Amino acid sequence: MSVLAVTRLELRRLFARPLAWVLAALTLAQLAWRFVLLLGGFLAGQIKLAALPGGPGYTDLVGVPMLSSILTGGILPFGVAELALVIVPLLTMSTLAGERSNGTLPLWFAAGLPASRIVLGKYLALMLWLVLWLALALAMPLSLAHGVTLDWGKLAAASLGLLLTLAALAAIGVACSAYASHASIAASIALTIGLALAGVNIAAQKAGATSGVFNWLALSGHLETLLRGLVSTADIAWFVLVIVVALALATQRLAAERERG
Amino acid sequence: MADLSLRLDAGQVLGLLGVNGAGKSTTLAMIAGALVPDSGSIQLNGKDFIEHPELASRAIGWLPERAPLWPELTVSEHLDAHGRLRGLHGTALAQARQRIVERLELGPLARRLAGVLSQGQRQRLGLACALLHGPSLLVLDEPANALDPVQVAALRSVIREQAAAGTAIILSTHLLAEVTAACDRVAILHEGRLRYDSPIHGDDHKMLEQTFFDIAMRGDGPGDRMQAA
Repeated sequence: MSVLAVTRLELRRLFARPLAWVLAALTLAQLAWRFVLLLGGFLAGQIKLAALPGGPGYTDLVGVPMLSSILTGGILPFGVAELALVIVPLLTMSTLAGERSNGTLPLWFAAGLPASRIVLGKYLALMLWLVLWLALALAMPLSLAHGVTLDWGKLAAASLGLLLTLAALAAIGVACSAYASHASIAASIALTIGLALAGVNIAAQKAGATSGVFNWLALSGHLETLLRGLVSTADIAWFVLVIVVALALATQRLAAERERG
Repeated sequence: MADLSLRLDAGQVLGLLGVNGAGKSTTLAMIAGALVPDSGSIQLNGKDFIEHPELASRAIGWLPERAPLWPELTVSEHLDAHGRLRGLHGTALAQARQRIVERLELGPLARRLAGVLSQGQRQRLGLACALLHGPSLLVLDEPANALDPVQVAALRSVIREQAAAGTAIILSTHLLAEVTAACDRVAILHEGRLRYDSPIHGDDHKMLEQTFFDIAMRGDGPGDRMQAA
């Protein structure tokens, strides 16, 4: 019950902050722009595409590219995954660092909650916000589902990939917030780690390193598989591993802070 | 902190006195469960808080120094949040909130954001959060800071009322007058150690003042001025 009490309070605080609303408005507006551009491209090439046996359809050209530009190339306007790299650190930065600078962190400790429940409760609140945000982004391509043939399996796999990406980035953000003394520092570190994880394989390739370690480390590699509609245990395990390690680090840091003061 | 041993009975008001940096806030944070001591135990009715932190949550009300609040939440939301974190739900929470809002006259502020409250209003809200769940032990860290004389009188009235209802109260301050006005026992901390612990009688003010200055200025050794509680 205490985890739910933390989640409820954190969610209320999240929705009370203008930052969450501003981020939601800006990103959804940008995603709407991307949707219109993708849809325009799809409609323009529809006749040619119809003639191709097994050619790409609405899901390949609009649905999945809405979620990420990994498969389509061309960065602007950003897909959900690219936006997440920026907005998740901004959302998570205050989770614990903000409490620390505000002096409210001891209130959580005095409520008799173990550090793990505080971290988990706050993480769940962030995830609820992010799931809602993802659902609104997905609503755009899904709004035309009655008039097109959707590949539901591929879209579900891609959505799962995005959900796991959001979950991993949120866990990293919470961990950074647990270690940082100020929210802005937490956001900077989380952004750096997120970008590094997203592009470590590309950077390694450009530097001439072809080790499989970089591909395994890269978030984009695991997300790409899911965006292609392939749900692999190894990819899901990577995301789960990142989430568990990040939340464990945050919990450990918070517990140590309660011990040390 | 070292060699600190205190015992408090129900209905007793203990004033924890000391200069800035004496260890008052650290002691209170440990009692409230916000900090874990390296060794020792903190017990209420024989039950150890450190081993069972959930007991501290239900049995202790804590007003930290400067009453930290979440600026984006309203007064009413603060009370709800603190109530839920302390195990109150539904009707019990609504009744407790109603009672404390009436007692501390927070009604007109109920929908105001904590971030725009004055320091006095913040202290009042912090006190309301500490009292909401009807704690057996009330821990107040410099509660009279930044309060005007009227607010200080109101605070003392609440302290006396709570003590009469059987709540044990620990109140930290660096103001001697605050201790003699609101407490029936005083403990003086200096450099993390308990230097003095004694009941207060009506005519003790001058003697207490001298003791406090002796300890604060010259740092009399521990035990030199200990009296039977």
